[in-house]
Amino acid sequence: MALRVFSLNLVKTNRNLLQNGFKSPAPPTGHMAPAASFATEVTVQAAPAAVQKQKVSKAMRAYLKRANEHDEFMKTQHLEFQIGKRHLANMMGADAETFTQEDVDEAISYLFPSGLYDPKARPAMKSPDVVFPARKAAEFDETGRPFHSLFYTGKPNFFQLLHDIVEETNKLADLEERMLRRGNKPDENQKLEIDGFHLLPKDQLELLLVESIADIEYSNFCNSMDRLIASPYAYKSKTFIERFLKPLMDQSNQLEVPKPKIDGEGRQYITTYECLRKTARADVTVRLPGTGKISINGKNISYFEDENCREQLLFPLQFSELLGKVDVEANVEGGGPSGQAGAIRWGIAMSLRSFVDQEMIESMRLAGLLTRDYRRRERKKFGQEGARRKYTWKKR
Amino acid sequence: MKMIRNRFGNLSRVSVQLQRHVQQMATSAAVAPAEGATINEFRTAVANPGEHSALQLAKFYTIPAEQKKQIFTGGGLPKQYELQIKTFTEACLMVRNPALELLEYIKGADLTKPVVRYVLYGENGTGKTLTMAHVLHYGALNDFLLVHVPWAPNWMKRPKEASNAAGQEGMIDLPFDAAAWLVHFKNQNGKLLQRLQLKTGKEYVWSKRESTPAGSPLLELVEHGIARIKYASETTAALISELKQLSTAGQCKVMVAIDGFNAFFHPITRIFSDNKQRVTPDRITLTQPFLDITNYDWTNGVCILSVDKIAMTEGYMDSYMPRYLLGQAGFEHLDPFVPVHVDNYTDKEFHSYINYYLDRHWINKTPQGFEEQLKFMSNKNPYSLMQLVRAL
Repeated sequence: MALRVFSLNLVKTNRNLLQNGFKSPAPPTGHMAPAASFATEVTVQAAPAAVQKQKVSKAMRAYLKRANEHDEFMKTQHLEFQIGKRHLANMMGADAETFTQEDVDEAISYLFPSGLYDPKARPAMKSPDVVFPARKAAEFDETGRPFHSLFYTGKPNFFQLLHDIVEETNKLADLEERMLRRGNKPDENQKLEIDGFHLLPKDQLELLLVESIADIEYSNFCNSMDRLIASPYAYKSKTFIERFLKPLMDQSNQLEVPKPKIDGEGRQYITTYECLRKTARADVTVRLPGTGKISINGKNISYFEDENCREQLLFPLQFSELLGKVDVEANVEGGGPSGQAGAIRWGIAMSLRSFVDQEMIESMRLAGLLTRDYRRRERKKFGQEGARRKYTWKKR
Repeated sequence: MKMIRNRFGNLSRVSVQLQRHVQQMATSAAVAPAEGATINEFRTAVANPGEHSALQLAKFYTIPAEQKKQIFTGGGLPKQYELQIKTFTEACLMVRNPALELLEYIKGADLTKPVVRYVLYGENGTGKTLTMAHVLHYGALNDFLLVHVPWAPNWMKRPKEASNAAGQEGMIDLPFDAAAWLVHFKNQNGKLLQRLQLKTGKEYVWSKRESTPAGSPLLELVEHGIARIKYASETTAALISELKQLSTAGQCKVMVAIDGFNAFFHPITRIFSDNKQRVTPDRITLTQPFLDITNYDWTNGVCILSVDKIAMTEGYMDSYMPRYLLGQAGFEHLDPFVPVHVDNYTDKEFHSYINYYLDRHWINKTPQGFEEQLKFMSNKNPYSLMQLVRAL
């Protein structure tokens, strides 16, 4: 027997049991998952058949059995999914061969319309690969020897990672010393830019490592990464570091202030699309040399009858001291008055960024003008009068 | 250094001269107050609306207390404004364009021709009623008999009492409201009626025992209506037809002012008939005389009517335009009329009003840019502004 591939593997909870089974600390031998990727699929090199016959441990046998069962299970699931997909395609009058997952989702939401609040609770049909997530692969060969030298730490991937970080750090320290001795200085142009990035958060790191780690372990990781990044030659191990950095995409996008355009009358203008609040959506155009004219769906500020809605529009203009100096045009639809006012307020604030200095943008941000308000109406709960309010309690 | 000092000396001399000049101007102005004497930049001492012109635009004039009592006791100023008057202890009105326009029309009108109907229209809270009040003040000072309905929808929306009319089948009487209106009429015109010595043209028989003979004073007719509330509606009708005849005969001038005139053409009222069905306005006995006097078949008078969104009920408030509010029948009844648009404040008027509030210490805190903010929030709408700066 040469090769055997375990597609889906050992349940984590069984790891302790397995560890108890292997009392003797075996020296690290044979294969080991490449440090670069903590793959969930592992190729296992088995021992010659003669040896194998005697050496296959109890735990390994149990594991193999479970793995086979799981394989069988997944196979039937896949089969059922394929059949189901074909049926669905027939029902929808589409070609079964070219029926994609998007088509499946569409068909399901059409055939089983659901008013359930949480999208996760609505009926769905997905590939078994998505429904049953992958688990960690076997970490030992058929003779019961662990692949990884750090297997008995319980978290081999994590400690391997720490090990690698320290190795990189030491390498850079050596390099620095050598360079210092030669009188060279680190290249300023190549300096590692980590603005707009941050280290992987704990949950994402856990996903990457396929291991759960404690808070203190995560902080150890952060500290050692910080030490590595702080090195003047950190750009030398850029590829390594970048694997554990996550870009702050949204914020850096927001920080980028668009340049105003020039309209037919020679005035600067900025249009912000997709201004959302509750169920209202608006697009707002702000023109710079203006007289404070407001136009909302063709009407002036009297579009809003409530005082508080008008105040919403007033706030960004007054805050940036541009009241009466810019013209605002807005098209808004959906939602009620307060949602519409909130959407336009956000649009005005976002557009005004182009006409004020950086300091003002920062204070606008601190005032909460540039933050999207994600609050939505809370659903009514059964057994309650509303979202939070309970029915009046009456003794009898 | 010397040079500079010299220059300063020169400058100071010039400024002293300037000051002297200004003082002279001021004293000369004080000597001749006829030339639009101003107390403040936002006040005017010209209390007679007949003398108001573009000079007094956006300025406040004060209605003397006894005149205010005579004209507006029975209504005619909005409730909120009345409160403000009470707080400020003076009845101030701003001289605004629509009122000036109306006054100009009235002054230039040929009264021997059939009456001209002026229709005030505009958005909610722009000052239609106060424009009317301004013109009413002019009318009262210029010997017009005032036929003033402070708020016509009151009769259709919240009458004191509704009863079946005695004489006419299927008609509804509003005796208390009619009597209240007669009291209002008497308050406004009592003195003038005594002076003019107007007499009724024909005999009015109210019942077997009661009647008003021909040639009895008009005031007697009014007092009869007030005393015998049962006949108040009929008295009102009689009074108004008498007024029409008298003015056509040239014995008096009549100013008709009806606020919320479109209520007479609203599809329904809140009054229920005997068979529990809503009554249309034309089945109320009070409606007929006021429709009659807004007709153009008489002379020696003016008609000032206002059409208002809030005179209507839900579902009929889409537009403030006269054609929409009056409907087909109302528009044809008034056609032809002179429309007068009452708009929001201009910048000047707004500034003047803010100054007035500051002068009355009504606005206490004046953070930087408060005026701009108020302008933005109120959209320069008079009522919105009043609401924004209202007491808590």
